Amino acid sequence: VLVQDRPDIRARPAPVRPRRAWRRVLPPLALVLLLAVLASLLVGSGQVGPGRALRVLLGGSDEEARFAVLQLRWPRTIVATVVGAALGAAGAVLQAAARNPLAEPGLLGVSAGASTAVVVVIALGGSVATLGPHVAVLGALLGCLAALGAARLQGVGDDPVRLVLAGAALTGLLGSLTSVLLLLDRRTADEVRFWTVGAVAGRDLSVLSGVMPALLLGALLVVLVARPLAALALGEQVAAGLGARPGLARLGAVASVALLVGGATAAAGPIGFVGLVVPFCARALVGPDLRRVLLPSVLLGPVMVLVADVVSRLAVRPYEMPLGVITALIGAPVLVLVVRARRVPTL
Amino acid sequence: VTALRAPAGTVLLRAGDRTVLLPARSAGGTALLAALLVAAAAASLSFGAASLGPLPSLAAALGLGDASDVLVVQTLRLPRLAAGLAVGAALGLSGCLLQTLARNRLATPGTVGIDDGATAFAVASVVGVSTSLAPSGMALVGAATAAALAFGLAGGAGTAGYRFVVVGLGVGAVMGALTNLMLVRAPIDAASAAFPWAVGSLNTRPPLPVALLAAALAACLPLSVLVARRLAVLRLPDAVATGLGVRAGRVRLAALALAVVTAGLAVAVGGPLGLVALVAPEAARKVCGPRGVPVVASALAGALLVVVADLAGRTVAAPIEVPVGLVTSVVGGPYLVWLLLSSRPRRTP
Repeated sequence: VLVQDRPDIRARPAPVRPRRAWRRVLPPLALVLLLAVLASLLVGSGQVGPGRALRVLLGGSDEEARFAVLQLRWPRTIVATVVGAALGAAGAVLQAAARNPLAEPGLLGVSAGASTAVVVVIALGGSVATLGPHVAVLGALLGCLAALGAARLQGVGDDPVRLVLAGAALTGLLGSLTSVLLLLDRRTADEVRFWTVGAVAGRDLSVLSGVMPALLLGALLVVLVARPLAALALGEQVAAGLGARPGLARLGAVASVALLVGGATAAAGPIGFVGLVVPFCARALVGPDLRRVLLPSVLLGPVMVLVADVVSRLAVRPYEMPLGVITALIGAPVLVLVVRARRVPTL
Repeated sequence: VTALRAPAGTVLLRAGDRTVLLPARSAGGTALLAALLVAAAAASLSFGAASLGPLPSLAAALGLGDASDVLVVQTLRLPRLAAGLAVGAALGLSGCLLQTLARNRLATPGTVGIDDGATAFAVASVVGVSTSLAPSGMALVGAATAAALAFGLAGGAGTAGYRFVVVGLGVGAVMGALTNLMLVRAPIDAASAAFPWAVGSLNTRPPLPVALLAAALAACLPLSVLVARRLAVLRLPDAVATGLGVRAGRVRLAALALAVVTAGLAVAVGGPLGLVALVAPEAARKVCGPRGVPVVASALAGALLVVVADLAGRTVAAPIEVPVGLVTSVVGGPYLVWLLLSSRPRRTP
């Protein structure tokens, strides 16, 4: 039966948009990012208020303010920007690869894999000082493979929500393994506190230079797999018909997510929910196509991390709060929002 | 009355002209779990930094024998054992009720955020005011809040697949974040007083919350047995259950209330013990067979699990004491992952 013969099936004409129209969202997003960076430089939990900080940026010579802005706030702003961009892109890619809007590196246990790997290596005698990001990347890769293995085992068309449960189970398991290791080994516990709670406070730029190669390689892979992954959204067979190789594309996606999340975790520890919230907002702005979602995600990721970081400085002055707490407070309602939709959409 | 005969596979209990029909396997399984629990309790009294034999430890528990043994058993091990028994039984019972009412083996107080809610509110009470009754009361309020949020936001439980559980995960994440927030803000001594709730431990077991939990358990267990008869019908679709004369909504609410009370008070004593509420009902179901909802057996299995895990945590890596919550998480974690990945068609509990 032809579709034309079925009056009950009506084709809804796709809205005709200029090809490049989606790019119009990029300048406003860039502006928002700029404002977030500025806020991160100007606002702090200590004595140096926005006014003094602004004068430093304009070339003032207030020594205390100069130190606070250039030595304390500038490095953490840069680290937050890079980490946010990596997590945002990783979330978008992982969600496209798993075809599941709930696939988030933190929720699926990728970040937990990275930090557990680091704790294990330190417990075996390594030292934080000599540890490169490759350990975290390897751990993230294992966590990623476990999560996507779960996605495959559960089968396509099944409840997307189950993947999140598998990830939560994996995260819980890895978390308690880490706790046991820390309990048995005081020295590790001291060195490792840094790795188990996500934060960008007190990171200097040398941390970043260590993880930059991993992040750049991950970004390159993302660029390579974006097109095949977007084709994969149409289904395995259609993608193959369009000339994409589904297996290879997924493998590339997993590798890029592992590199990005591993690098980000090595720089700032596990920060949850960024990879969930950012692609969610980006899809709301530009639609589901991965090729369009990527750039807004890269811009929105830093915005979320920077805003969370600024809030973490202001919420409990004069103390600071773990960054992961704020991102969880932002992210969990979004999770509930996605799941509450009548039918959880598959990507 | 004399003509009544028990059908195959059941036992008929008679008292005057009242009769109760018990499935034989479930009765036998419950008895087996009870026997194992008694053995584990005896072992828990006997072993530790100073090992006593089972008979001396039993005598010491009654106040007989060597004075130092009496001191060790009566002041150190007996209260700990009592707390472990009560917490484990409460969590096992709560898990069994929640799993059945949500028609989902993954719905446990831990996964739907009840534990996190209770922890958050209990920590709030310790950080704020420090009377000894407050943690239990606040934990109860927190458990009820989290359950109401998860139940309300998911639009009910038991009819929408995994939605209840994942909404609960979100609620739990928010509650966990609030707990962290309070621990950061609190002065250091208040924060360390609240620490046992972070990992789940029987190390500090204030007597009042334990007594409250025991009293609640004494009330909730018989009520649960009553609810379980109707809950068993809820394993069928709602329409069928209604046709059989069970008011699905009411039964669910009653079971949810019982689960919230037991889980909340248990968290006030020992903190969130990972995965006890998941594994214990599963073990009970294995032992008791598919007939009926094994609430009593789940409580026994939970108590057994916690007592054994606590014993292992105290003795395996001595002199370091591994908190019992970590032991249960490490043991139960792989089981949970396997449960999620097993490609068998889903069985509802």
